[in-house]
Amino acid sequence: MEGQYLRRQFIKMLSAGLVGVWGLPGRVNAREAAVTKVIATKAIPSSGEALPVIGMGTWRTFNVGDDPQLLAARTQVLEAFFANGGGLVDSSPMYGSAADTIGYALKRLGKPESLFSAEKVWSPAGGTTREQVASLARRWGVDKFDLVQVHNIDDWREHLAVLREMKAAGELRYVGITTSHGRRHPEFEQILASEDIDFCQLTYNITRREAERRLLPLAREKGIAVIANRPFDGGSLIKGLKRREAVPEWAQQEFACRTWAEFLLKFIVSHPAINCAIPATSRVPHMNENMQAGKGPMPDAAARQRMVRFIESL
Amino acid sequence: MSDWASYQLQDFIPFSGDVYFRLLARMGEDFWPLQWAFLALGIIALVVAIRGRARLALLLLALPWGFVAVAFFAQRYVTLNWAGDYLCWAWLLQGALLAGIAWSGFGCARARPRPSLSLLIGSFLVLIAFIGPPLTTLAAGGGWRQAEFFGLHPDPTALFTFGIALLVLRGPALWGVVLIPILWIVVSALTLLVLESPRAVALFAAVALGGVGLFCRSLPGRRDQ
Repeated sequence: MEGQYLRRQFIKMLSAGLVGVWGLPGRVNAREAAVTKVIATKAIPSSGEALPVIGMGTWRTFNVGDDPQLLAARTQVLEAFFANGGGLVDSSPMYGSAADTIGYALKRLGKPESLFSAEKVWSPAGGTTREQVASLARRWGVDKFDLVQVHNIDDWREHLAVLREMKAAGELRYVGITTSHGRRHPEFEQILASEDIDFCQLTYNITRREAERRLLPLAREKGIAVIANRPFDGGSLIKGLKRREAVPEWAQQEFACRTWAEFLLKFIVSHPAINCAIPATSRVPHMNENMQAGKGPMPDAAARQRMVRFIESL
Repeated sequence: MSDWASYQLQDFIPFSGDVYFRLLARMGEDFWPLQWAFLALGIIALVVAIRGRARLALLLLALPWGFVAVAFFAQRYVTLNWAGDYLCWAWLLQGALLAGIAWSGFGCARARPRPSLSLLIGSFLVLIAFIGPPLTTLAAGGGWRQAEFFGLHPDPTALFTFGIALLVLRGPALWGVVLIPILWIVVSALTLLVLESPRAVALFAAVALGGVGLFCRSLPGRRDQ
């Protein structure tokens, strides 16, 4: 039953977390360790600041309420993220208690220096933008956010106007907009083209590449950093791959992909316009797999085409 | 593709399976041993329903609905899902509806339920609501404290109410009383489907069976009346 299952999962998570933090001697050879030591970064176009290419999403995974066991488990996930050189943590007020869980974990981890805090404001705006940001900052336990985005571009005119004021006043560092699942791309494109923003967040993965046609080239041209959400298509993509196929040998040889998580994430972050992918997980071993994708060699344009052909052939 | 067509069921469930099942288990742990009091209350409600005292049976059911509304939805579930506030109000409304019908006697059967298919189905739903969740927990190695119980958790409470309603109500009162339980069971089954729990199938089957009972109970001029 679920109770027993959860206890087992928790014990597994706990032990895996210890392995993740202190390493697993004998499984990773010296050459690999040297190669995989440092996570790759890309510069945020509007500032030049370096941002690790693998971030962390929190939809579903960090919404754990006030359960002490689960709060402790998620703290270990976040600890593994930072131990692997992670930076950007993305959340939203519509993710339930995710902001509180992040706040709980950051308090215990002592707010790692590499943290790049990214939140969202949502509708209805109704003059609540500042209030929403202040409330979320309290829940995270941070003085100010690095990035605040307009969730699903709802009420974006009002929100963006206030967020720009806050940025000018030094109350946050970057502003952005988000969409997901390919929704409202025409309006999204219009905002990218006409508004002064630092970041945009959209759905991009190896099976959802609509953004390649217009949004990614436009973001690159306008100097807007891009965060890719739903890198595993809500989990269904990676689950399907794990069930039916092994990672192809050529991917292991050419760009050191040992897992499907690395394969899918390296595809995303090797796109020239993408700054960061934000996979979400509630498990330390999966976090470690995800973070490996930011390390070592990346696929070039030809290899990316081969990856697409391979996935489409399945 | 329109925006709405791009949504999937999982986009509306903002928590994962381990979190939801821990919430259900913690509900039992937090209120132990209150489940035994609710179990006794449920047995009394069933006995008085079988003896034809419909109004008292419905009155006894109002209490667990109010308890689940506050203790489960408003104090716990809402930490995971903003919809918890609305669900709390829906469950309070159901409690008030049960109390109101108990007070007025509207739609209540005035005699002992006669043997019929709806009586059989109603009794089966009550039985399932009572023993199904605890037995599955125990069979899987869990403890009594972690099990779901009538009066404490929403699924068995909704199923139990559906079953009792089939025993003691008729006409518009029956449809009115089963509406929120059916809606909740469907919502819960869809949630469990997203969380990949096999219990989703059991809930869909229970609501379908209850639907058959409802249909039989609603046929004019049948013994079910």
